[in-house]
Amino acid sequence: MKVNAVTKTYEGKTVLRMPALEFEPGRICAVMGANGSGKTTYARILAGVVRADGKIKPFEGNESVGYMPQKSYPFRMTTLSNVNLIVKDKARALDLMRTLSIDHLAKQRAGSLSGGETARMALARLFMGEFDVLVLDEPTASMDIESTALTEELIKKACRERQCVMILVTHSLKQVQRVADDLLFLYKGELIEHGEAKKVLSSPTRQETKQFLEFLGD
Amino acid sequence: MKTALQQALELIIGGSGELSNILLVTARVSLTSSLVSLIIGVPIGLLLGSKSFFGRRALVVISRTLMGMPPGVCGLLFYMMFSGVGPFGRYKLLFTVEIMILAQVVLIIPLVVSNMETYVSRISDQVRETARGLGLKGLRVYVLLANESVYQIFTTYLLAFARAVAEVGAVSMVGGAIAWKTNVMTTAIMLYTNRGSFTLGVALGLILMTISLAVNILVTLLQRRLSR
Repeated sequence: MKVNAVTKTYEGKTVLRMPALEFEPGRICAVMGANGSGKTTYARILAGVVRADGKIKPFEGNESVGYMPQKSYPFRMTTLSNVNLIVKDKARALDLMRTLSIDHLAKQRAGSLSGGETARMALARLFMGEFDVLVLDEPTASMDIESTALTEELIKKACRERQCVMILVTHSLKQVQRVADDLLFLYKGELIEHGEAKKVLSSPTRQETKQFLEFLGD
Repeated sequence: MKTALQQALELIIGGSGELSNILLVTARVSLTSSLVSLIIGVPIGLLLGSKSFFGRRALVVISRTLMGMPPGVCGLLFYMMFSGVGPFGRYKLLFTVEIMILAQVVLIIPLVVSNMETYVSRISDQVRETARGLGLKGLRVYVLLANESVYQIFTTYLLAFARAVAEVGAVSMVGGAIAWKTNVMTTAIMLYTNRGSFTLGVALGLILMTISLAVNILVTLLQRRLSR
């Protein structure tokens, strides 16, 4: 799946300059980089939440894109109703919630959930839809180890079964090692390294990547 | 004052034809104008608070300015437009309940719009971003926004009703405070106080406060029920 080259400028300052890329369905591509490197901006452009400069569309076709923002919003309804928002299928919703271990919260108001529970609810809500591309912006940031493991399993399974393009913005090196097939490494709004995750992690070519990975490794 | 209060209570308990009529006209004017303002103002507020378009800021400023419009000025405008020589004089609406409702609607809509706009603009980005990420578009996003704003809608309704029931300037100018026809509680209190008839004035004041309290309790109960 081809993605066009995009840039984003805020108040005269270009904060993102991404080349044209190609993503392969059924593979998970992680996006890494320090704070302010442009990961979220790129994710939001791919999701169509933010417009790239020149109103350039990231995808050439009519690909449907599902997106989970960094801060998940619980709509003012029960957890089950939130998960059932796009497609009304209670059995499937409950099944997804069971996978993420939040089925016991079905009747609880979504606004009363903890940060980690809200993120799992948001992920289940997103996975109810059928999308060609799924963009997840730090989905496990507020989760404990157990929930993170459940979520990662679901992400991997969903990506393989649905054969969709999965783009995962993350800060966790271990998460990249566990789930990512490919890796994009951003530095100050530029893509400085990309390729197979294992290859990039084992032999980074740029000094910035090496430093970042060493820092995360500590 | 104690005598007037006692007499007022007797009047309320005993009932009076004129008092009942004033209450009915007040209820009709206040409830209708506040509800109509809510029905018109909420969608406008949702739109102004969530959508970027040319002229949006100007509309927000206009709406906020109109919030402070003196009721007397609103009454005067309606009086001029609907008097015999005015452009709408042929409709013969002056000194009717309908024109009182209309004047109050114009007075209250900016209040509803500004209240909704201020609230919605705070939550809009997150709601829209989440909805967009789920592939939801158009009307469904507005339905979600309205659902997220339900508490604010109730609060805004309370404000609208309070403004309507306590308003005297516009309704007295366009309604004329005609006994048995367009006299509402606020105009009647003014009228009877000017005449030195405090009993009915105090009785109406008590009822006005009781109605306000009842509406507040009702809305609070509804809010609580919705939060479950």
